[in-house]
Amino acid sequence: MTENNGIKLIRTACPQHCGIDCCGILAHVKGDHVVKLEPADFPDERDRRICLRGLSSLEITYHPNRIKYPMKRVGERGEGKFERISWNEAYDIIISNFKDIAKKYGWRSIGWVLGGPGAGTTKFGAYLRLASLTQSTRVSAWGYGDAGLPCGSRIIFGHHFPYIHLFGEFWQRKWPELLIVWGSNPAETMPLQTMRKILDAKESGTQVVVIDPRFTVTASKADDYLGLKPSTDGALALGLMNVIFQKKIYNREFILEHTNGPYLVRIDSGKLLRGKDIGEKKENAFIIWHEASNSYKILRRSNAMQASLIGTYNVNGIECKPVFQLLMDLASKYPLEKTAEITGVDVDLIIKLAEKISTTRNVKFYTHMGFTRTYYGDISLRGLISVASITGHVTTSFSSGYLPAVLNWDPFLKVIPNKLSFHRLGILNLYDAVISGKPYPIKAIWFSFINFLNQCVHTNKVIEEFFPKLDFIIQTELFLTPSARYADLILPVCSFLEFSDFLPHPYPYVQLQQKAISPLYESKSDVTIVAELAEKLGFGDYFKGGEERLIDLIIDHPSLEGINRETLKKGAIKLKELPEGVNFPLSFRTPSGKIELYAEQLVENGQALPVYLPPVEAPITHGEKKYPLAFIQGHSRFRTHSTFANVQTLLDLNPEPVVEINPIDAEKRNISDNDLVTVFNDRARTTLKARVTESVGPSVINITEGWWIEQFKEGSVNHLTHNVINPVQEKVYEPNMHMNDVAVEIKKYEGVQK
Amino acid sequence: MSKRLGMVIDQERCIGCEACSVACRLENRTAEFWIQVETIGGGNKDIPEGTYPNLKMDFSPRLCNHCSNPPCLNSCPVDDALIKRGDGLVILNQESCTGCQECINACPYDVIRFNQRDNIAEKCNLCAHRIDRGFNPFCVICCEGQALYFGDLNDPNSNVSKLISERKVFQLKPEEGTNPSIYYCPPRPKRRL
Repeated sequence: MTENNGIKLIRTACPQHCGIDCCGILAHVKGDHVVKLEPADFPDERDRRICLRGLSSLEITYHPNRIKYPMKRVGERGEGKFERISWNEAYDIIISNFKDIAKKYGWRSIGWVLGGPGAGTTKFGAYLRLASLTQSTRVSAWGYGDAGLPCGSRIIFGHHFPYIHLFGEFWQRKWPELLIVWGSNPAETMPLQTMRKILDAKESGTQVVVIDPRFTVTASKADDYLGLKPSTDGALALGLMNVIFQKKIYNREFILEHTNGPYLVRIDSGKLLRGKDIGEKKENAFIIWHEASNSYKILRRSNAMQASLIGTYNVNGIECKPVFQLLMDLASKYPLEKTAEITGVDVDLIIKLAEKISTTRNVKFYTHMGFTRTYYGDISLRGLISVASITGHVTTSFSSGYLPAVLNWDPFLKVIPNKLSFHRLGILNLYDAVISGKPYPIKAIWFSFINFLNQCVHTNKVIEEFFPKLDFIIQTELFLTPSARYADLILPVCSFLEFSDFLPHPYPYVQLQQKAISPLYESKSDVTIVAELAEKLGFGDYFKGGEERLIDLIIDHPSLEGINRETLKKGAIKLKELPEGVNFPLSFRTPSGKIELYAEQLVENGQALPVYLPPVEAPITHGEKKYPLAFIQGHSRFRTHSTFANVQTLLDLNPEPVVEINPIDAEKRNISDNDLVTVFNDRARTTLKARVTESVGPSVINITEGWWIEQFKEGSVNHLTHNVINPVQEKVYEPNMHMNDVAVEIKKYEGVQK
Repeated sequence: MSKRLGMVIDQERCIGCEACSVACRLENRTAEFWIQVETIGGGNKDIPEGTYPNLKMDFSPRLCNHCSNPPCLNSCPVDDALIKRGDGLVILNQESCTGCQECINACPYDVIRFNQRDNIAEKCNLCAHRIDRGFNPFCVICCEGQALYFGDLNDPNSNVSKLISERKVFQLKPEEGTNPSIYYCPPRPKRRL
């Protein structure tokens, strides 16, 4: 498209790590220069959108501090002294280091640490493909805060993400009567795909309730707000369930049909009673107590609805209880006053919310990663889902909407068909692999789209124990980030306007991130870098055709039939719509095929039920003296994690990090608004300005994540965090970082107040 | 009847994101933010009023009110630095501005900025350059919450006129007698549990 004044209009999309917001962008290009960005059209006008970050992203593309050419380190690691080299020299250095390391330790000792590709796909896929070809290690970044939610969801739903079951047809603009936003602040983190729809829903009559330790922007828009202490979401869920059980306002039919609530559990072992335990031929069959005949029965489709949910039964000498009875027993330990004491939520609000959830016909739950960044966050999520399940508010089928985009990942993940050919490590396991060589040593790391040192837990451990153990560190980056300063080699990458990629968002659309201008300076796209390196390693054939060819490969899937690069150039394309009148069932991929209120595989861990366990570190009870404050990290609209932290327009609106502290805690420590304060624990300290505010409750402090280390007077948020592994998460999926489960103390800065 | 272009700002839908501020700065290449979001709450940006957890916070974007009786106009000593167009827009011509700051003192809304770089006054011209080509002001199309509506207040069928007749609306500082062309819809009452 061309406007009359010589400006070309290129339809692209913002792929930042807000991920599914993925705003369509119209780039105004004059010559080879983008002069303006504006929100691009969408097939549905209501979806036309952009945010303050997307708007200011030209300041990233044309930032004076962009890394302009490949550089090798000449000073000490972290010192920030680098020297310009050519791309050829860079590739030679990489190949020679990789070959040395591979010879000594094997290719698996070379790790690709790929952080947040955002909505991008092929830039991520290219690295996976090279990791597959070289049989090196792909380090999964889920554990970088995003593994707790999948752990919980995998256990109870058998799906990586719980969203489809919890929001149901919310994305189709079918508004519920009640929406509970639990532990998430979409007004700042997902303003367009989620918050705008919440506003639409509210305008149509949806009542919105927010549960969060912080009074967020989202909370300010809600009809009611439950402020709870961090890490106590699981206790609140049990308290709500207890009210629902006491008042007998649960949804019996739903529980019988869709959950393992009626399954009998052996009291002696905690295992589900099976046919083999009682001499039945169907050895693995589940057993229920049949109400009408007052006898046990093998669970069948025909008798499932006649099962008993309550009671204690003797089955051939084995004492058993239905799962539901066990859940009731557990919840009964959380009477109102106790729940209120643990969570800080008023008794009255707990009762009202429980009643409202139970007695409202259509309730949806919105949650994301917030509280799952606590040590037992996966169980808290199961608690939330249990509340939704016993009240029948889990979506089990779709009657309208669009089939999700499925991407063809096979060529990237599997060089040999049907077999993963790279090694896989969780990012929190990477600490051990590098520091102690367990389960095997990692000696070289390639970091892409990740500001590892800034964003991962326990900064001093990374600086003092992790980096020194590495023989070789490469970083592809736009800027000399806190993490890039520790690289041995820095490769300049393009901003999103300088290369193409396929973006499978926002639902129900897919989009093309279309290259608008040539790469600036000597920067290259990640795909180009991988392709050129692969060529030198003898795998060039797999990357012929560059970004375009990889896009063609990844969209080669029946769900994207009829969609190609040419059609995508014109704009966002809607996914295939479900035929009218068809009810599309959503299965649960758990061992029982049901919502598992009881997780048999976690009996030995004492976590078969969604038990409430106190946080590993966050101090939520009175009398904890040394580090009495719970430290949490909210997310800010001015950044997407650590991206945009160096954009001047956004800094003009939000110039520096602050620690939010409640007036009660501030007064105790003689802290006033804008004072410089030091937040500390045994691991480290950070110094920044105090913001005395009621937006956090007593004994809680908040610093939004993503500020770069150098933007603090000293330290940073992750100087304070820990790398403790939750073994259950490791067993179920991958261990998560628990940035919201941290204890600290705070005092006035002892140096000179500015 | 002549046009009276203006805006309706729905506080119910404003999430205080400041995309309007960023959009305006980019579109108008300004040093200052011509539209700024005020937090109605505890006195500072994003700070609620009340005691945890019983809190309240709202947002109110503030920009030139394009008053029907603009006090800035009378205060300006230069002939064509400030004009009121037939369609109701109050335009500050930067080329003619001498930087005397009389308009800044005269404005009851504190929405005229002083650009220290160029030593002139600046304010929202409601994207006249876009309006004249048939486009909406840039802040309107970039509003995350879709809280900003632009249209002809004299046209009873315009989206803005409909909102004004359907919703409870208010203008800022009516006692000043300026009759702003920017209207606000207050947030709807909360439906507590």
